[in-house]
Amino acid sequence: MVAITFVAVDGLEQRIDATDGLSLMENAVAGGIDAIEAICGGNAYCGTCRVHVDPAWRAVTGEITEIEEPMIEASGDTDPGVRLSCQITVTPELEGLLVRTPASQS
Amino acid sequence: MTTATHAPGETTGCPAHAGRDDRKSAKVAEANLAPAPGSRVIGSFAAGRDILRSPKVRQAGASADVVDLSHPDEISFFFLDGDLHRKRRAAVAGLFAPKTIVTRHQRVMNRTMDAIVADLQARGSAPLDELSWQMAVDVAADIVGLTDSDTNANLARRVKKVLEASVARKPGRLNALVFNAKMLVHVGAFWKHDLLPAIEARRKQPRDDVISHMVKENYSKKGMIMECLSYGGAGMMTTREFIVMAAWHLFEKAALRERYLTGGQDDQFAILEEILRLDPVASMLHRRAAEPVEGVLADGETACISIREANVDEAITGPCPFQLDPDRARRMKVAGPYMSFGDGPHRCPGAQVALHETRIFLDRLLRLPGVKLVSEPEVLWNPQIQGYELRGAVVACDRG
Repeated sequence: MVAITFVAVDGLEQRIDATDGLSLMENAVAGGIDAIEAICGGNAYCGTCRVHVDPAWRAVTGEITEIEEPMIEASGDTDPGVRLSCQITVTPELEGLLVRTPASQS
Repeated sequence: MTTATHAPGETTGCPAHAGRDDRKSAKVAEANLAPAPGSRVIGSFAAGRDILRSPKVRQAGASADVVDLSHPDEISFFFLDGDLHRKRRAAVAGLFAPKTIVTRHQRVMNRTMDAIVADLQARGSAPLDELSWQMAVDVAADIVGLTDSDTNANLARRVKKVLEASVARKPGRLNALVFNAKMLVHVGAFWKHDLLPAIEARRKQPRDDVISHMVKENYSKKGMIMECLSYGGAGMMTTREFIVMAAWHLFEKAALRERYLTGGQDDQFAILEEILRLDPVASMLHRRAAEPVEGVLADGETACISIREANVDEAITGPCPFQLDPDRARRMKVAGPYMSFGDGPHRCPGAQVALHETRIFLDRLLRLPGVKLVSEPEVLWNPQIQGYELRGAVVACDRG
């Protein structure tokens, strides 16, 4: 299991024990992170699973991939750490990862 | 062969509700579903999702097998795969994003619903599928940019004729001649009366729609026709049926209707998605393995992913899969529509649009004074699109 912390816009912190190999989105939904809506089920077609990766972790999670760009652009979310959590695969290297969830996913 | 964990009609794991089946289209589907010859039916949700998300599969079934892929700029994005498909979808993906729906498309939905309500209250009653067709056509036409036709009703009629002719294609030289002649007539009418006027208008004044994008990117005439028919036709024909299906469930179930009208938008979406899980408009998706997909498909094998079976796979739905339970998806921590809009790179681009327009349509309709379902629809089967059609439903309300 990989420990990952989600911080809501009001500062509430929720830690989940994520499963290696699944996406961050799948782990968030299974872990009861309500701010991750993921209405397309993980296909990068809705942009409602956005997270803002803490600056210290951006090199590990990587840059926005080409698949993510259209929906992030359409969302208007300009946070420098924005990613679609459905496109981040949980690995042991993400132990201790901290991400913030946006005020709204739509 | 199917990989489902249960037989149709069986309610394993649900002794309290054994025999209860809330699906309205199951019988007609069971009697008429026709997977592509030689394909293997996949009923497991997990296996179906693995196939649909795999980069090793290609579109198959229906007319995908006879499409000439050597000129990708002249065929619909629907038949493409890989990078080319992704780029074509990505270029207009923003038009279907949740934020765009809320900030832009909802205006069209509300405006159309104003007209539908006024018309219904003036007439006192109307065929439900006529009203749902009007909503589906107006919204799809606006997103695509088909806004310069004589009327939207005529636009819809012409689009429908092309789509019906295109999916009715049969093998053989004589059939090919007949097919080409029919298509020439129908596509010619669509080009002349709908697409060309829209293109000319967008050349003068670009907007944020599919046609403006194609004009900017210098799409060929054939390429534009195919793309418009794919986005527009799919949005019109499927949403029309789903609105009637959802209305039928809600008119029939008083408690569910009450919950729909008193709950918030999230709850309304949960109800609609659960109805769609039970009665998906699309029934199956075909994919051919371009190389082996580990554990599920052999090289060259064609899979028929059964949306209907995947949507009632107890491994993902939990017990009582045939029971309408709007709290199911949240309880099971899965995306509400399950497989109803497909999955993977080809997942329906208009999924959220369809859900939003259905939500608005029913929210307004069900609040009308004196509204009632005067006659229930007849459940028909469209063999060309392998999906149900609901005809004959009539709604009535107090005259305003």
